[in-house]
Amino acid sequence: MENFTNAVLIPENLPEVEPETFTGLNRKYLIVLFVRILIIFLLLAGGMTAYIIFAEQTPSWSILIPIAAAVLLIIIFISVVTWLGFPKKGYLVREKDVSFQRGLITYMVTSVPLNRIQHVEVNQGILAKMLGLSSVNIYTAGGTSSDLSIPGLTENEALKLKAFLSGKISGHE
Amino acid sequence: MNSIDLSQPTRQSPRGLILIFLFSAQKFIRAFWPIVLVLVFQNEIFRNNRTILIAVLILMILLIIHSILFYLNFFFYLEDDEFILKKGYLRKQTLSIPFDRIQSVNTKQNLIQQLLNVVTLEIDTAGTAAKELKIHALDASVSNELQEQLQAVKKHSQSNDEANSQNQETIKEELLMQLSPTDLLKIGISQNHIRAGLIILAFGLQIFNQVQDVFEEKAEEYSSEFIEFMSNSNLALVTFMVIFFLLVSIVFSLLRTVLKYFDFKLLKRPETYRIESGLFNKRNVIIPHQKVQELNWETGPIKKIFGIYHLVFKQAVSGQNRQQRQQLVDAPGCLAKHLEKLKYDLFGEDQLSNVPRIYSNSFYFRRLWIMFGWIPVLLATPFFYSEMIFWISAPLWLLASAGYSYLIIKKRYFRMSNNQIRISKGAISHKWEQMELHKIQAVEFKQTIFQKRRKLASLDLMNASGTITIPYIEEKLAKQIYNYLLYHTEISKEGWM
Repeated sequence: MENFTNAVLIPENLPEVEPETFTGLNRKYLIVLFVRILIIFLLLAGGMTAYIIFAEQTPSWSILIPIAAAVLLIIIFISVVTWLGFPKKGYLVREKDVSFQRGLITYMVTSVPLNRIQHVEVNQGILAKMLGLSSVNIYTAGGTSSDLSIPGLTENEALKLKAFLSGKISGHE
Repeated sequence: MNSIDLSQPTRQSPRGLILIFLFSAQKFIRAFWPIVLVLVFQNEIFRNNRTILIAVLILMILLIIHSILFYLNFFFYLEDDEFILKKGYLRKQTLSIPFDRIQSVNTKQNLIQQLLNVVTLEIDTAGTAAKELKIHALDASVSNELQEQLQAVKKHSQSNDEANSQNQETIKEELLMQLSPTDLLKIGISQNHIRAGLIILAFGLQIFNQVQDVFEEKAEEYSSEFIEFMSNSNLALVTFMVIFFLLVSIVFSLLRTVLKYFDFKLLKRPETYRIESGLFNKRNVIIPHQKVQELNWETGPIKKIFGIYHLVFKQAVSGQNRQQRQQLVDAPGCLAKHLEKLKYDLFGEDQLSNVPRIYSNSFYFRRLWIMFGWIPVLLATPFFYSEMIFWISAPLWLLASAGYSYLIIKKRYFRMSNNQIRISKGAISHKWEQMELHKIQAVEFKQTIFQKRRKLASLDLMNASGTITIPYIEEKLAKQIYNYLLYHTEISKEGWM
């Protein structure tokens, strides 16, 4: 197997993207995530209940219990993954690029060079607003797959980040 | 000397009125047909034939008036280095686009437009959120004049040479390739029939089940030997159906090919390519070299016999329209020499053919095999484990999917130089994607826990036309490439579009 560095000249000591250097998200954002799970749970439970009430013949317990168990298991699984995966989320702003990492079972980190940012927005959902949180959305020309969304920032942090990035974009034009 | 002065407000072609009328009628019908249906069937008044006739007449008159008003209030002109379009009679809109934001100007003609000698003109602009301008009933000669003026103005915008934009500059065009009817035949036969065939087969199986039920009913009525044979001999019927549907898919492919690529021409201009093709739907697309983000080309078992490649110019497009817009800029039936010429135009001297290939790790095979082979079988087991045939076909499926996965990893490699990258992929067909590194918009590093144990990772390189994926390479290499790509993009002074 040919050695990669023999074929291509890479500048020595390139700056690395190390997971440890990332800043984590605000803990209050966990509330937003769990409320989402709660909503899903309520929808599923509500659906099941409605089905039981309105079905022509009440399904026997031998069907209901496994389904309820399955739903419960799914919810528990999602909750555990969310809880354990939260510390893995983070963002990193360097001189020339901004990155966002996430993922428990599949670790993913996306980096966008500052000179490729099209525009930046600050958004707030209803719940986030109540908690004093915002998210910064970074748009690129690469479409949704390369756009970055950094949630779980305090309103202040989000505005500061937006101002910083916007300043960098106009600096390039 | 110009006979058409585009600095004066110019309307669409009068012949286009018919088109506007038809278009409005179509929009109306699409919007209101449920209501019409309900009215006709519920309301007594509307049952009367005369009422229906009067209603239709009123409708037509209204549509005609709308079409005329729309036509009269729709015009455009060129002023102060801007293209200005005014439209609307109730709600007046003015759209203006500075020339330097215009990327390219394309035209399309459907069958009716061809008969009327009008075109649809599309103006492509830079930027992701911008809406493109479309003019649907433009006189063909006006369209040509507009295209040439915009092209000329773009070229001389740097040198600020106004005099030149008045000249009828013959833009030097070189015919790179043209498809003859024989070429079309070759292309049609070498299309990916299996996929189309499978889709038709899937639907066909539904129909087959219905047919089988019918046969069994009829077999009781007519105890004809043939019918009993057919309905009992599932194998014969299935084989017949399979062959039938494969043939149908081949015929459809051929038809589609001929219609889409009729009289296909690829022409080269100093800074752009131009593609012209189509029978009932003619397209005329201009591709500025700068806008090309990636070049993709593909060959397959049958294509290889003919020695042809199917090329796609991947351009920067905003996310919403990506699928349909990218349909327009492909060149089928290219020979190797065409491919080399285009690669040279877009990427310069070949940097990559001497760089060693880096293959995806063999662990990727396992993942593919699980995805294509084991998971479907495991999902099917609870439903079919009692059937004898399942226990024969399941191992066969596993074998087939293993072979398919093997074909994939044999072709999964990439070559990378300081400035460019080319990846290779495909199972039965072989596809390549080549891109200049400074066109990257973002990079993504992915690692599942299974990959982490083996020190492997995958990379996604995103550009304005899509994503190039490098799956299952060494983690250390992936990180090196990740950091290098960021570095390269950040120091690059070249524009990506």
